[in-house]
Amino acid sequence: MSGRLRPERWGALPIALHWLIALIIAALIVIGWRMVHGELSAAETFDAYQLHKSLGFLVLALTVARLAARGWFASPPEPQAPRWERWLASFTQGALIVLTIGAGLAGWLVVSASPLPIPTRFFNLFVIPNIARPDAALFAAAVGAHKVAAWAIAGLAALHVAGALKHHLVDRDDVLRRMLPFVRE
Amino acid sequence: MQDRLFRTARTACLAAMLAAAAQTPAPAAAAANWRIDPERTHIAFAIDGVGYPRTRGEFRRFDGRIAVDFDHPDRSSVVFHALSQSVELGSPSFDDFVRSEGFLNAARYPSIDFVSKSVEKIDEHTVRVTGDLTLIGVTRPLSVDVAVQREAAGARQRLAFTAKTTINRLEFGMNAGFPLVARDVELVISSEAAEL
Repeated sequence: MSGRLRPERWGALPIALHWLIALIIAALIVIGWRMVHGELSAAETFDAYQLHKSLGFLVLALTVARLAARGWFASPPEPQAPRWERWLASFTQGALIVLTIGAGLAGWLVVSASPLPIPTRFFNLFVIPNIARPDAALFAAAVGAHKVAAWAIAGLAALHVAGALKHHLVDRDDVLRRMLPFVRE
Repeated sequence: MQDRLFRTARTACLAAMLAAAAQTPAPAAAAANWRIDPERTHIAFAIDGVGYPRTRGEFRRFDGRIAVDFDHPDRSSVVFHALSQSVELGSPSFDDFVRSEGFLNAARYPSIDFVSKSVEKIDEHTVRVTGDLTLIGVTRPLSVDVAVQREAAGARQRLAFTAKTTINRLEFGMNAGFPLVARDVELVISSEAAEL
């Protein structure tokens, strides 16, 4: 019982941020896939891009906020696990945050450097300024980076979910439960 | 008589092609008048883009004036205006984007105009209308072949026309997004006129 007192569970704010960001990222992947590979009409594709951009900027803002507030969130103790497992969990979680910000910035570069500049209206509320001038080469590079980041996020999220389920179903500990909303101890 | 009727129809349909809610002025000879049915008039376009579905749109508001010389079809003329602001692509934000500066620049150039210069019979079902198209302030010649169909709808005769042509938007200085957004814009104009 020495040192700082650690809570049993994550607080309401980190839990809300975690699941909100997770939900939006899942939506971004589905919308992103459909707007590029789907059988949508031109108008539906346009709207899908606008929604993808708004949600993307929302996730970028939420993730930066979450990272900035990280020190304020009291974290529950790390579970007992082999060192490599703890390393893998930390790597996955860290990479997810870095890639989410990276994908967001790459996406911002995509819309900025696009040879066809389309204003990014954040949920139709205000226009988000561009961070580059139209540039075909930069645009192509940013599209590539955005795509790689998106696939990496999908893969790492799957690993993250697998890890949580392993704790819950195999180890039978509370690692997943303490991050679930609406759970009372 | 048959020939006369056809010639009447032919000239009327030319005019009708792009003009809506317009009535052919009564010529000196006792020729039939034709009224365009705006409900059945469509000024549509399509354009391709790289990695993007074919974009189709329509101008919902338009008007026109027609002068028809039944004895000298060559002297017939058509003037039409499509309102840039009335463009519809199936999504309000997409509409706004196409109305913006890079494309229709609707705030600065409220209308797209066609003024015919000559009318020429190609065959029994086709006429060629040649004139000037003014788009975002740039005027270029445009020649359109118009297919004509006569239909009997009850006691009244109806004429259906369709015209399909392609314009090079770069010629009008509409460069936005090229080559990501294609150079060629397909125009498809269809209309129906009823005998009064």
